[in-house]
Amino acid sequence: MLIHHNQFDSDLDEEMRLHRELREREQIERGLSPKEAHYTAQRRFGNDLALREESRDMWGWNWLENLIQDIGYGLRTLRKNPGFAAVAILTLALGIGANTTIFSLMNATLLRPLAFPNPDRLVLVWETFGKRPDNWNIVSAPNFWDFERQSHSFEGMAIFDSAGRGYNLSATGAKQDPEQVSGLRVTAGFFGVLGVKPLLGRTFLPEEEIRGRDHEVILSYGLWKRRYGGDPQLVGRTIKIDGEDFMVVGVMPREFHWQFWSGPRQLWVPVGYTKTDYGRDENSFIAFARLKSGVTMAQARVEMETLAGRVRQQYPKEDAGMGATVTSMGDFEMEGLRTTMLALLAAVGFVLLIACVNVANLSLARGATRQKEFAIRRALGAADARIARQLLTESVLLALMGGGAGWLLAAWSTKLLFHLFRLETMHLPLREFNSITLDSRVFAFTLLVSCLTGVLFGLAPAFSALRGGINEPLKECGRGSTEGGGSRLRHALVASEVALALVVLCGAGLMIESLARLLGVDPGLNPKNVLTLQMSVPQEDIYVGPPGLPRFCQDLDEHVSAIPGVVSAGAIAHLPFEGNAGRGFQIEGQPPADPEHMPGADYSVACPNYFRTMGILILAGREFTHLDTLSAPGVIVINETMARKFWPNDNSIGRVIRLGGSDGPRLTVVGMVGDVHYSGLDAPMRPQFFRPYTQAGWPVMSIVVRTRNAPSMFTSAIKKALAEFLPDRPVSDVETMQDIVHDSTGSRRFPMLLLAGFAFLALALAAVGIVGVVGYSVAQRTHEIGIRMALGARAADVLSLLLRGSMKWVLTGIGFGLVGSAGLTGLLGTLLYGVRPTDPTVLGCVSVLIAAVGLLASYLPARRATKVDPMVALRYE
Amino acid sequence: MHQDEIPPGTLYLLILKALTRGGELHGYEIASWIELVSDDVLQVEEGSLYPALQRMLMKGWVTAKWGVTPGKRRARYYRLTPLGRKQLEVEVSQFERVVQAITRAIQTA
Repeated sequence: MLIHHNQFDSDLDEEMRLHRELREREQIERGLSPKEAHYTAQRRFGNDLALREESRDMWGWNWLENLIQDIGYGLRTLRKNPGFAAVAILTLALGIGANTTIFSLMNATLLRPLAFPNPDRLVLVWETFGKRPDNWNIVSAPNFWDFERQSHSFEGMAIFDSAGRGYNLSATGAKQDPEQVSGLRVTAGFFGVLGVKPLLGRTFLPEEEIRGRDHEVILSYGLWKRRYGGDPQLVGRTIKIDGEDFMVVGVMPREFHWQFWSGPRQLWVPVGYTKTDYGRDENSFIAFARLKSGVTMAQARVEMETLAGRVRQQYPKEDAGMGATVTSMGDFEMEGLRTTMLALLAAVGFVLLIACVNVANLSLARGATRQKEFAIRRALGAADARIARQLLTESVLLALMGGGAGWLLAAWSTKLLFHLFRLETMHLPLREFNSITLDSRVFAFTLLVSCLTGVLFGLAPAFSALRGGINEPLKECGRGSTEGGGSRLRHALVASEVALALVVLCGAGLMIESLARLLGVDPGLNPKNVLTLQMSVPQEDIYVGPPGLPRFCQDLDEHVSAIPGVVSAGAIAHLPFEGNAGRGFQIEGQPPADPEHMPGADYSVACPNYFRTMGILILAGREFTHLDTLSAPGVIVINETMARKFWPNDNSIGRVIRLGGSDGPRLTVVGMVGDVHYSGLDAPMRPQFFRPYTQAGWPVMSIVVRTRNAPSMFTSAIKKALAEFLPDRPVSDVETMQDIVHDSTGSRRFPMLLLAGFAFLALALAAVGIVGVVGYSVAQRTHEIGIRMALGARAADVLSLLLRGSMKWVLTGIGFGLVGSAGLTGLLGTLLYGVRPTDPTVLGCVSVLIAAVGLLASYLPARRATKVDPMVALRYE
Repeated sequence: MHQDEIPPGTLYLLILKALTRGGELHGYEIASWIELVSDDVLQVEEGSLYPALQRMLMKGWVTAKWGVTPGKRRARYYRLTPLGRKQLEVEVSQFERVVQAITRAIQTA
């Protein structure tokens, strides 16, 4: 049918012609005059053209033919109006490109499927203390063993060391240099619980968990490929790690990425501990499990609580006040990300809508010049639907071209974003995040959005083309004196884009305000010129019992502080911004609390000079010293919040607590320090206390060193100094404190900057839209303006008339925008800090800004109206 | 003479019937047959035959062939197919059903 188009037409033509002639002849025979006969025959036959089209229609291919026709026509029309096309495509490219960028970001993060089967069955298991549900603690190994043995809710449980560390891979032959990679100690069940099968070899066996039998290693796919050339024979061979032989027992598949808790890991070794290595109160492992089918998380939680209670009764000293809880693994750390992504997606959605409004207005303006064309077509019998379809096709065509340009824009901007924000440091726990690629899903998204956009903004001109009579436009001199109802549509569109821009601007404004407040929060320490390093200091091997324990802190002091340029050095079990352990205790001198509801606080262990090194103020009493040994009385240092909470009316120095229960070790408060934010600048301050390392010990310590300047330059000197008293213990996670503080706001800074960028884009687009509409309106009303001026109106009057007309709509838009904003910005939820979604300052400033921009955007084209020469305007008919 | 329009939906019925009685007909002949047989009561807007014929071609109820009229003019002749014959039966019974229902409705009341 498509091919034999013309053949079909001419055949049908011939057929119908014959029929008409025969009918005509018959009528003549019946007695009509030839002319009458001709008319009768014609009348009985009907509309030729329509019949021909209808006949062709019957075959059903018409829609495709029409579509091709429409596309061709649309392309020709656009080519005739390159200016319009260029502006429209550019506007659309901005809107669609922004959406594609954000969607590809979402695609690379939230929407990536996890590599594990049934990831929603994976849960994290925590100890709790003080009976508060948010007092989570990572678990201790002995407690985990009991949990594992006694629980029934899980298919399997496993733990891994909360502090991975660097492992030195020795050179292999002449080809490779020694290299340090990040690794993790795990129990045998680790991979099994996750549900990951190795690519090569096997995972660990339970007996390999024990020290002495633990020299096996599993490599990540990346490490295997990169360093060992993807050698399929590698399994079964030994490699040298930290100077010792480890047998490679397995290689993980390519899709497996583990960067949960901190940083990506390249190799895994068995935990390699003995039953006595870890105390029950030394919480240094992360526990997770897979729920048995049919068991809900709530049920598991209840079971763990009960279990914890049983364990607590067995070990009242170490596990005093302990409880347990279970949370979803998949949701961990994802919550904030989800909010961020959705907020950004909403923002770019608004930007796109604004872009659509602009293009719709452009199309409307252009459509006005095509009124004649539409009138003729309709007079000739074109169905409304047909015209509308053709206009929509044009719009979608435009939108697809805009989408293509937007795709290119997005490809460029995602790369830019990734490097600008160092997104690879955004720790996505269980997914790889090395790049943002525009894959097929993103392409489908872009295509869909483009089509929808085309339909959306195409509706306006289609609607306006069909409105109105056929007669008016065909008249020779169309009166364009005042604007018809079409202008109301255009102005309403302007109001709507002002409203949208306002919402986005408010969102950005609130985020900026949040971040400003956050950065204004005193972290409680002086992060300048402080370097931090992490080191595992196993208690058994090196520092066992007195006089072993004190040596670490002393050695640290002697060797590291001796480096020229170092002001002081200390160590802490938990760095600020990186979470904490917790403990329960009884307060001497106060009525003993029920063991279930013992007071609790965050807990850490520090070497002397820690507080001084970090620049944390000592408000009362003293720091730890080297004299606070095991043989000396037990001491603690508390923070302000703890002092205020437990001893609100008295001096806290000299007070005593009993750790873990009424008969626990007596610890005296010897010092009070300023509050430091331990879990983020936006988290509420919690009570906290510290024990000296020389009395308590901890398996992994973070060493902090204050230098005179340029802390990162001291890294190698410090490492050398550490090696002097702790040889062969690799050091990992070297960061300056300033970077740590900076990165802690990263998750807010990133969306804020993006949001601000989009808000600016939205405002710019809206301003352009206003300029366009007002300019067009002026052009339309040239005649009217001419009359007014001829009748005595001054330029200023005309100007104020135009401005008032335009600002009326801008203000309407602001009004609606404020209402919408109040409702929507509440969705920003956790991203906001210190500001209410309806913060009047932000809303006020944004409104004023938009009004000012709207006024300026209206003024620029309106000014042109005052230059109208009344004579010229009147003459223009 | 006043002519009534044919009831909607019955055009196919009439064309199919025309072809059973007439064998091979071209468009004008079909229109004439309808006029003749109905004693000029029914008037078909003759142009509307052609879209209908195209549809019947598409559905396979008729086939068409170019031929020559007695007046030495080229015309397309239509003939019924077995499928068309069956369709005629379907249409007839449907029509009768509807007419009976309406007759019943009118007679009561």
